[in-house]
Parts: sequence; structure tokens; C-alpha cells
Amino acid sequence: MFFFILTNNNSNKMFFLFILFFSTLISISSNSWFGCWIGLEINLLSFIPLISNSKNLLSVETSLKYFLTQSLASINFLFMILIKFSLLKNFDMNNIISIMMNSSLLMKMGSAPFHFWFPNIVEGLSWMNNFMLMTWQKISPMILLSYYFNKNFLIFMIIMNLIIGSLGGLNQTSLRKLLAFSSINNLGWMIFSIMISENLWLFYFLIYSMMIFMMISLFFLMNMYFMNQLFINNMNFFIKLNLLINFLSLGGLPPFMGFMPKWIIINFLLINKFYFLTFIFMMTSLIIIYYYIRIIYSSFMFNYFKMKWVNLLMKNNMSLINLSSFISISSMILSTFIFM
Amino acid sequence: MMKFLFMMIFMIPLCFMKNMFWLVQMMLFFMMFLFMNLNLNIMCFFNMSYMFYCDIISFGLILLSIWICSLMIMASESLFKLNFYFNFFLFNVIFLLIMLYLTFSVLNLLLFYFFFEASLIPTLLLIIGWGYQPERIQAGMYLLFYTLFGSLPLLMGIVYIFNDLNTMTIYFLKFFNMNMYLLYISMIFAFLVKMPMYFVHLWLPKAHVEAPVSGSMILAGIMLKLGGYGLLRVMIFLQEVNLKLNYIWIIISLVGGLFISMKCFCQVDMKSLIAYSSVAHMSMVIGGIMVMNYWGFIGSYILMISHGLCSSGMFCLANINYERLHSRSLYINSGMMNFMPSMSLWWFLLLSSNMAAPPSLNLLGEISLINSLVSWSNISMILLMMISFFSAGYSLYLYSYIQHGKYFQGLYSFYVGSSREYLLLFLHWFPLNMMILKVDFISIWF
Repeated sequence: MFFFILTNNNSNKMFFLFILFFSTLISISSNSWFGCWIGLEINLLSFIPLISNSKNLLSVETSLKYFLTQSLASINFLFMILIKFSLLKNFDMNNIISIMMNSSLLMKMGSAPFHFWFPNIVEGLSWMNNFMLMTWQKISPMILLSYYFNKNFLIFMIIMNLIIGSLGGLNQTSLRKLLAFSSINNLGWMIFSIMISENLWLFYFLIYSMMIFMMISLFFLMNMYFMNQLFINNMNFFIKLNLLINFLSLGGLPPFMGFMPKWIIINFLLINKFYFLTFIFMMTSLIIIYYYIRIIYSSFMFNYFKMKWVNLLMKNNMSLINLSSFISISSMILSTFIFM
Repeated sequence: MMKFLFMMIFMIPLCFMKNMFWLVQMMLFFMMFLFMNLNLNIMCFFNMSYMFYCDIISFGLILLSIWICSLMIMASESLFKLNFYFNFFLFNVIFLLIMLYLTFSVLNLLLFYFFFEASLIPTLLLIIGWGYQPERIQAGMYLLFYTLFGSLPLLMGIVYIFNDLNTMTIYFLKFFNMNMYLLYISMIFAFLVKMPMYFVHLWLPKAHVEAPVSGSMILAGIMLKLGGYGLLRVMIFLQEVNLKLNYIWIIISLVGGLFISMKCFCQVDMKSLIAYSSVAHMSMVIGGIMVMNYWGFIGSYILMISHGLCSSGMFCLANINYERLHSRSLYINSGMMNFMPSMSLWWFLLLSSNMAAPPSLNLLGEISLINSLVSWSNISMILLMMISFFSAGYSLYLYSYIQHGKYFQGLYSFYVGSSREYLLLFLHWFPLNMMILKVDFISIWF
């Protein structure tokens, strides 16, 4: 993210980026609920200048929508904290207040059923801003969720996340919206993992954000925002292979890296006897693989009509692509020999 | 065992060098001959190391997979001549061989699942990458989703077994009894889809037809047998549920085999006919495994090996015709005996093996399966009689339509049959008909 900000002559955004990182640390390491709320507010304050770009109407509208939804959720969170811990002073998890607290955190993350802002907003952001939205902005609400959650409510939310994330992406052609719905689906996996242990969530989150980073940087370098652009250009063979491996890995197919976190979460699901929930996890991940494969048709078929006059100019050097290809392929070998 | 894995891994850089197409194929033949010299003990797992083992079933199936992979490269010379990404094709074949070898030889059930799924990816790449018709996208989708729909519950079942038994070593599973209906369905459904059983067989005609010759060979040769191998491994700890519920799968597969055999007579596409005949043979294999007696296991194992060689040879023959006439239709491929009489010898030899004529290995497999199924129930005599009769029927139908009759007038010119093609077909037919002389290598398990 630093590299791309520097190359776009936008070093003033570096200030806001540092405050963004700092705000998450405030939020997750405070010993009072107030501190958490303060961290969330500073997060919102520092993310808005990163995404606002007064050059076109769409990005102004996007940053305004983001501000409205997130501040609504923050205010809700503050109110519920005050009611529960200052007014009522009980730690009972089974009433409406704790459900409201969890809901406001879910809304900050973009999880179903509060997800309607999320595909809208990713349509208006550039790829790198999308990367921050999909990975870093999920950290503090997740960890705050782990401090105080209502298990039955969260299981219901997980099911809704999985189903909406898989079925919502079926009718999309914009790559950003597809990745948004896949992010909603992966939120379902992540919420379950944080109910088990924070360490498990960290493992899933790190592998997920590494895979998302590889894909988003690939799309960013090729300047591709829609599915029909995937067929138009003359992609190098290694780029096609990289795209193929990354999407299959994100779908959770063996032998790639993305199979490992899913397998470990299934292990914990079955230890805790969530049999039907495991079945829903599996079947929605089949639907997700369906629309990933629609994206990577262009890299499967080696002969199709390629437009010869479109020349693929890479913005930066190719070393990032080569490194990510190497990681995607070699992690398969590592994943068979580390845990067995 | 690890020496073969390393030999295959180090063949990968060889695929990307210049002019190494035939060297890779020779290396695979070399590895086949090295592998045949392993000590074969029949009653136990042999050659065990940390992760690998060899059993008599996995020995035969690994031999079959190395053989078919080397013949795949021999059959795909046109990719090399037309320069159609043959480096990546070789890498695909070697990668698929590594995944299949590991599937058949790892001790851990979860690793078996891992490599079972991983062998799908190079197959998908073969079908969509090197196939030649637009329908191949749909074929790849059907293959991937039918198989994944079956195998995700298998993953659930394996992880459940691990949480319960604290072991996943295949060797130790025979000491346990996990008799639960839901576990039974989730474990065997994946293999039934892969075999394929009648109701979930729709991926097979699509995938076999749209694949290039190498894809069809490996699909018919080995990928179907993964299902049989998995069933043989997984049924050990589910025996009581098997005894109660297996009749469902036997009935579905036998009656389905009858319907599929009748459907073979309606096919116009050569490859489609061979694909449906694969389903019919595999239906008998499912019946034999599900009956759970010794003759059934022996018969299904022999039929798996012989069907692998025979169907793969028939797909090679269909491709030999396709490369000359650019059509797979029975209307155009007729009267071939006028032009390629030597090839008609090979058509006859392989199709007679398909219909289980002596002295082919299919005959022994079918006789053992008939024995085991009739001992299970006398009424299955009728179904088996009809399936065997119709398999003879459509094999002769295919032979007669292609070879006899008047030839298509729109043909231009083509050469008769190169020695590479004759060698390819000989190497399919020779093990198939000569292994009957020493069957105790594959049919005496204890």
C-alpha cells in the first residue's frame, strides 16, 4: 500500500494511513469499552480522507455513504455500551442489548444482514482502497466481536453471511462486486473462527488477506474492473496461471494454499458438533467456486480470439507477480508437509 | 516408494526444456519397468515408510496409471507437431501422474482425500485447455461440480473419523466399527459419483467426449478407478451398515447399467458410445464391490484394470479416426476397412476385449462378477445377462458400423497408420490379453 501511494504522488495520504493502523491498535488493545469506541471512530475518521477523491461524483458519493453507515453503527455501538455497562451493569449475554452490540459491529464489518452498503461502496473505490476495506477494516470489529458475543445470534449471522455471499455474486459482472460478495462469504468463515479462538481467526485472516492481496494487485496492475475485460487483453501465460491458481486457491480447492484454513475450520466445526452448519459451509463454497471459475475461463482456455491490438502495459515491474506466483505454487508443497 | 516420487518430481524441469517430448515418455516407460520390480507381497502392506505404502490394489492401480500416462504422451503427438503448448501439457501429465501416484500410495486418509481432489485440477485443465469444442466449458463444469458435490461430504466424514478415532491411518481403520448411517452416506457418495453410478453419471459422457485424447484416456483409464479404490478402503470400518444398505447401490447400478447399455445403441458419436460403455462396465464394478464377498472384490479389481486398458485403447482408436476424418460421427466413419485394414484388426481386438471375449482379462472380471452377484441373489442373473449381452451387442455394432459398409464419399486423403499408433494400440492390447496367463498377481489377495 505504501509503494502504491508513493508512486501515485500522494504522500499526504501516508499520514492518514498511519493513523488508520494506529486506530486499530487503539481499538483492540484498550481495557475499556470506551477505548474501543474511540478506536473505531478514529478508524472512520482516517479512512475517509484515504477514499475521498473529489475528482468525480461517484467517489464523493461513495465516501459519503461509507461515512453515514459507519457512523451510524458507531453511534449504535456507543449507545449500547453505555446502556449495558453504565446503566444496567450486568454481563448477561442473552438479551437484546448484547444482540444490538453484536449487530452494530457486524454492520461495521459489512456482514449480512447489514451488508447492503458493502457492494455499493466497493464499486466506487479503487483497487487498493478496496484492499484496505476488505482486509484491514475487518480487524478491529472482529476482535471486538470476540470479546462479547452471543453464540446463537452469531451462528444465525454466519448462515446468512454464507448464503448471501454465495448467492449474491451469481448475477454480478463487476470484479469488485464479485470480490465483495466473496468477502461477505469469507466473513462467515471468519466469524466462526473467532468464536473458536482468536489464534484460529488470525490464521484464517492472514491467509485470506494474502490471497486477496495477490488477486487485487494482479487486477490493479492490469487495470481490470469488469469481467468482459478479462478476455480482451493479451495476457502473458504466467499471469494467466497466477490468476487461475489464486482463484482456485481462494475457493478452497486442494492442492492450493486456500484449502488449509478451510480444512482446519471444518475440523473445529466437527469437534463442536455443528454438523448441519458444516454442510451449509460446504455447499455455499461450491456456489462460490462456480462464479470464480466463470472469472477464470479466460485462463483455462488456451485458444480463444485474442485482440492483438490491445497491448498489456504493466504499471510497475513484474517482480510482484512472479513472487506471488511462486508463493501460490510452493505453498502447496509446504501445506502437505508442515501439518502432517 | 519415495524414489518414484522424486523421479517424477525431477521430470518436471525436463518438461520445459527444448525437444524433450519423447524423452519424457521414455522416462515414464523406464519408471514403469522400475516400479514393476518392487517386491509384491500379497497379504500385507509392503514398502512402508513414513507416509507411503503399497498394497496389492494400489500396486496394480499405480502400474496402470504410469502405463496410461506414458501412453497418453505417445497418443498426443499432434500437440507436439502443432506446437500447442506441449511443454505445459507435459507438465500437466506429470503433475497428474504425481497426484494419482500419491493418491494410491499414502497411508493417511486425509492425504488420500487431498490428492484425490488435487487430481481433478490437471484433468480440468486438460479438458478445457486442449479440448477442441465450445461444449468443453460445460463439460469441465459438470466434471468439477459433480465430483466436488460428492467429495465435500467425504471431507466432513474423514474429519469426523479423525475426531472420533484419533487416527487416520488406513491400516488401522480395520480395527474400528463406525456404524452410522449418515457417516456411511457421506463417505461413499463421493466414490459413487466418481465411479460413476447411474443417477450421478451425467458428467461422464460430457467429460469423456469433450476431452482431447489424452484427457479421455486418463479419465477412462484411472480416474474412474479412484472411486473403486476409495470404496475398497473406506468400506472396512462401516461393515454392518454396508450389509444393511448396500442393496440400494447394487440395484441402482445394475438396472442403470442395463439402461445405459441400451442407450449405447442410440449414440451417433463414437466417443460417446465408448463413454456410455464405460458407465455400463463400472456399474458392474460397483455391484461387485457392494456385494462384499471375495469373488466380488476380485472381479471388480480385475474389471477395473482391464476396463482401464480397454477403454483407453478404444479412445485412442477413436482419436486415430478423428485425426484423419475430423469427425467422430458414425455416419462419416464408415467403411474404414477399405482404407485402413490393419487398423481394423486393432478395432476388432480391442472391441472384442470390451465385450469380454476370451482370452481377455475382461472375461475373467465379468465371470467373477457374475459369480459373486448371482451368489448374492439369483434375480441379478437376469440383469447381468442383459448387460453382458448388450455389451457384446454395442461392441459389434460399433465395429461393424465403422469398418464395414460403404465409405463416406467426401474423404480426401490420409495415411494408413503410423507405427507410433500401432505401438500405442499394441501396448494397450498386450497386457490386456496376456495377463490372463498369470492372473494370480491380481486375483489372489490372501
